[in-house]
Amino acid sequence: MTEITASSDTLHIVNKAPDHPRFGTFLRALSDTDSVVLIEDAVLACTDPSLRLPKSCVALTADIDARGLQDLQPAPHMISYGDLVRLTEQHEQIISW
Amino acid sequence: MSKAIAYTIVITGAPWASQAPQTALMFAREALLAGHRIDRVFLYGDGVHLASALSTPPSDETHWPRAWSEFLEQQNIPAAACIASALRRGVIDETEQARYELAASNLRAPFEIAGLGEWVEGNLKSDRTLYFHGSH
Amino acid sequence: MNTLIVVDQPPYGSWAGREALDMVFSLAAFDQPSALLFVGPGVNWLRSNQAPSGINQKSVEKNLSAAPMFGVEAILADRSACERFGLTEATLVAGVTLTDSVPDTLDGYRHVAFAG
Repeated sequence: MTEITASSDTLHIVNKAPDHPRFGTFLRALSDTDSVVLIEDAVLACTDPSLRLPKSCVALTADIDARGLQDLQPAPHMISYGDLVRLTEQHEQIISW
Repeated sequence: MSKAIAYTIVITGAPWASQAPQTALMFAREALLAGHRIDRVFLYGDGVHLASALSTPPSDETHWPRAWSEFLEQQNIPAAACIASALRRGVIDETEQARYELAASNLRAPFEIAGLGEWVEGNLKSDRTLYFHGSH
Repeated sequence: MNTLIVVDQPPYGSWAGREALDMVFSLAAFDQPSALLFVGPGVNWLRSNQAPSGINQKSVEKNLSAAPMFGVEAILADRSACERFGLTEATLVAGVTLTDSVPDTLDGYRHVAFAG
């Protein structure tokens, strides 16, 4: 396994539905190079292309599946809980929204 | 092998009002599987409801407080509920029951009642402090 | 290890802001550099002349005014949110620093956290 180098960019973990005011605050706080993980209700954002999430944005598979969003087109990039752990290894600054 | 990381996990969302305890538990299990350490779990705000010994969901539903207790005991991870959050919301240990002359106590083992100093210490000691919030 | 605690909920309707204040006071009590950032409806914490006796709550304005004394290093607020809620120099409590860029403010802190 390769050595993990911590990124100086922020990892945003978002659990609020897209209509929640904090989701808007999160969008405004986002920098180009940041990483984003959508979990829980936030995976509903994958149904709305007008939200303009970064290309690198990923969503938790279990939450996507739970809400019947498996077949979305375009398909969101999906990750496991283990992948989420790896993302937290790689980022020293993490904000849970 | 990548470097092992130590986490403090803070849960602020209540069971049955949010997914926070469930997501946090899945994360914690995977973190240990990846060879990392969890220094402590701290319950804050509505998250303290996870430490109630009186939660009684229907038997065909996951019992989040019990699942968390079992995990913490198996892995020997210290866990505390914030004293101010817990007392306001009626999550009480025997010491606080005696201090305030209350009718009962209901803190689920192995959770303890502690001040926010535990959280501050976690921030300082752990490589990462990770929050699991409610959905409201 | 500087920490920014963010408040995005208005006062009195919920306890989240008070619990955010407890977090920042605890950091200060343990000599950890800390600051508060008010965004969105959370900026309503910063309005002067709060008189909550009619709803039987303690004034959060009074709570907040103790922050510098406890060692909280800064009280920051999103300028655009203040404008949205009609907060002007005249109606803001003393000691608030307005920020034009929430992302830049967040970047300045190692830890950024909400109370809930």
